[in-house]
Amino acid sequence: MAAVQETIDAVAALEKYEHGFTSDIEQEFAPKGLNADIVRFISEKKCEPEWMLEWRLAAFERWQAMEEPTWASVKYEPIDYQDLYYYAAPKEKDGPKSLDEVDPELLAVYAKLGIPLKEQEVLAGVQGAPRVAVDAVFDSVSVVTTFKAELAKVGVIFMPISEALREHPELVRQYLGSVVPVSDNYFSALNSAVFSDGSFVYIPPGVRCPMELSTYFRINASQTGQFERTLIIADKGSYVSYLEGCTAPMRDENQLHAAVVEIIALDDAEVKYSTVQNWYPGDAEGKGGIYNFVTKRADCRGDRSKVSWTQVETGSAITWKYPSCLLKGEESSGEFYSIAITNGRQQADTGTKMVHLGKNSRSRIIAKAVSAGRSDSTYRGLVSVHPKATGVRNFTQCDSLLIGKECGSHTVPYIEARNGSAQLEHEATTTRLSEDQLFYAQQRGLSEEEAVALLVNGFVRDVLQELPMEFAVEAQKLVAISLEGSVG
Amino acid sequence: MNAPVRIDLKDPSSFPSRRVEAWKYTDLYRWLRETPPASPEGAVEPGGPFAALGGEELTFVNGRCDGFAGIVAEGEGLTPVRLRFVSTAEGAGHQARVTIDVKPGASLTLLESYEGPARGYVSNISLDITVGEGARLTRVIVAEDAADAIGISQAHITLAHGATLHQSAFTAGGKLQRLETQVEHPGHGAFVRLDAAYALHDARHADLTSVVDHQGPDGRTSQLTKGVVHDTARGVFQGKIIVERGADGTDARMGHHALILSERGEIDAKPELIIYADDVQCAHGNTVGSLDQNALFYMQQRGIPFEEARALLTHAFLMEVVDRVEHEGAREVVREWLTARL
Repeated sequence: MAAVQETIDAVAALEKYEHGFTSDIEQEFAPKGLNADIVRFISEKKCEPEWMLEWRLAAFERWQAMEEPTWASVKYEPIDYQDLYYYAAPKEKDGPKSLDEVDPELLAVYAKLGIPLKEQEVLAGVQGAPRVAVDAVFDSVSVVTTFKAELAKVGVIFMPISEALREHPELVRQYLGSVVPVSDNYFSALNSAVFSDGSFVYIPPGVRCPMELSTYFRINASQTGQFERTLIIADKGSYVSYLEGCTAPMRDENQLHAAVVEIIALDDAEVKYSTVQNWYPGDAEGKGGIYNFVTKRADCRGDRSKVSWTQVETGSAITWKYPSCLLKGEESSGEFYSIAITNGRQQADTGTKMVHLGKNSRSRIIAKAVSAGRSDSTYRGLVSVHPKATGVRNFTQCDSLLIGKECGSHTVPYIEARNGSAQLEHEATTTRLSEDQLFYAQQRGLSEEEAVALLVNGFVRDVLQELPMEFAVEAQKLVAISLEGSVG
Repeated sequence: MNAPVRIDLKDPSSFPSRRVEAWKYTDLYRWLRETPPASPEGAVEPGGPFAALGGEELTFVNGRCDGFAGIVAEGEGLTPVRLRFVSTAEGAGHQARVTIDVKPGASLTLLESYEGPARGYVSNISLDITVGEGARLTRVIVAEDAADAIGISQAHITLAHGATLHQSAFTAGGKLQRLETQVEHPGHGAFVRLDAAYALHDARHADLTSVVDHQGPDGRTSQLTKGVVHDTARGVFQGKIIVERGADGTDARMGHHALILSERGEIDAKPELIIYADDVQCAHGNTVGSLDQNALFYMQQRGIPFEEARALLTHAFLMEVVDRVEHEGAREVVREWLTARL
């Protein structure tokens, strides 16, 4: 039991220092900058097989030949890729930490948030707490993975991807890069070259994963890029619900987060992927914050497979993210539920791609964007129907809510239909908070901020409902907090 | 990035490829890489699709119209101006630039047609239109380029306060055809109606692109585009509504609805909303699909053969756009013209 207790303490310690402040944990860094030697260093550090190193080096070569894309409607200072650390790992022992260093304003935020992730309770052994298995990724490495043994009993593999590379190389080799190819885009190529850890999940045929799986990402060290890689394989007839949470400390400089998530769903498999993204968004003047450039894609390879993405995007200085579904299987289905809330000077360009390749495949997109302050939010989505995909159905709804005179909200949906039997529907609206509703709520004794939070929560309810319960409660509070200071 | 591409046939570097976002679905560079040989002069008889409506006729044959110095409308224009662009040169290219000025308080009915009896031509027309304070422009366009011809028409329309623009475009496409409309909308009581319908057969391509930029408060825009594609035809709709900072009270609606009536037809649609003001009402709807199977079944059950039932439903689908044309004469001409192309 000692080992378990240790794990519990380790994660509890992490949790205590979450969000806006730094943990003074001694870190082991690779030298700054990026070159083939750094790639080799990371691979060696992880004791990876030779093929993996070659894969990384090939990706690095591709990346060097690529140009950073500029099509998203976000503006930021160019990133100096040579001025970043690509590998930072906490040393075995935690260094001294002090709560006094924490900004009291932030502490107040956490108090309002409650415990950000229910895992802490689980780890602390609270009776009746939901059972969630957690993989905590701290900067570049996976620190703890809980419930591994219990999951192994039913055949579920849940471990850091670095470990999976050693223990299940055949599975990793078969699927890694099969959904998001190395050269898919600039950031996925970069990730492929330098990713240091992430989670690996394999659900065997016919197994319904007995608990929620969760990864908790945190960037801690300064000037560090975080590049994690998540690979989820749901074999025939299996089911898994996966949660992802993200936080980072407050820093003046911008930190880069370029993750890749690949999901493979075989026949009759179902994967539900939920994200509550709360990276540090930068201060009110737009200083600091995370650049969140993420590639997430699911491959619904099997017939009747289903993948559902749910995301609550409240953090990051810049979000650039399009969780997508390749609907290859017959009657496969993809869903995308998104809430993107921007405040201050945040910029979010997010949406999805539903690529219909299989017959009778279906997709559903519900995107809600709330912009406040001087922020900008864009929904960018693609629904495409291949000539051979008959009987395709899609429904898309994008609603935007503007709060304040200086924010922007944009909708850029693409439809590409090449089959006469497809039925595609898209609708989008942009409005502001109704003054009548605000007045009514205030008349009933709510403060202006409470009234806004209430109305916004109503606006995003369709999406919140899709989140697993524990996350929904947290997300609801997050919605209110993100909008603080946006009125009046 | 958002500045419209101005095509100059003499300068091949101005030919956009699909790598230019606004031309993603209309890859001009694929079909045209060099300056085409210049079209010779030509002559045509008066006529055109709107001939029966009378009025003044201005005809550009292969990009030329002798003595033309722009259209200036003053006072209440009771008779329409028929503006014809006719291509009679085989395998050659021509371009023209036309300015139209509707003075404050004036009104003009412009019946515009793109006709191409010739084959394999490249026609590049650009129009600079200003509509003065309280003025009104009704623009009805009928476009049918040859099946192997490239036709591009780019209009840049600037409205003043209280101006009204009613535009309805009807097209049967070409090998590569694009009708582009950029509108500077000042708000302040100005109203824009931007409608279009396309009916495409064979391997024809029609691209209806529009940008309406709301620059001041209280502007209204209503846009409806409908289309039908057969065979391997390709319909493209790109509609962008911009509401700039300070353009509060803007009310903008956009709808695009298309039917694919063949296995290999294609529709690419991109309705965009770019909004920087909070007190606005903006919405767009976009649907792509086939005819309602239940309606088809019902009609067949009542003894209407499949082909006829399909034609009736398609007709009814597109006529919604025709019904919105206010000029009665033009409406009936367009109705007949479109019906013949279904």
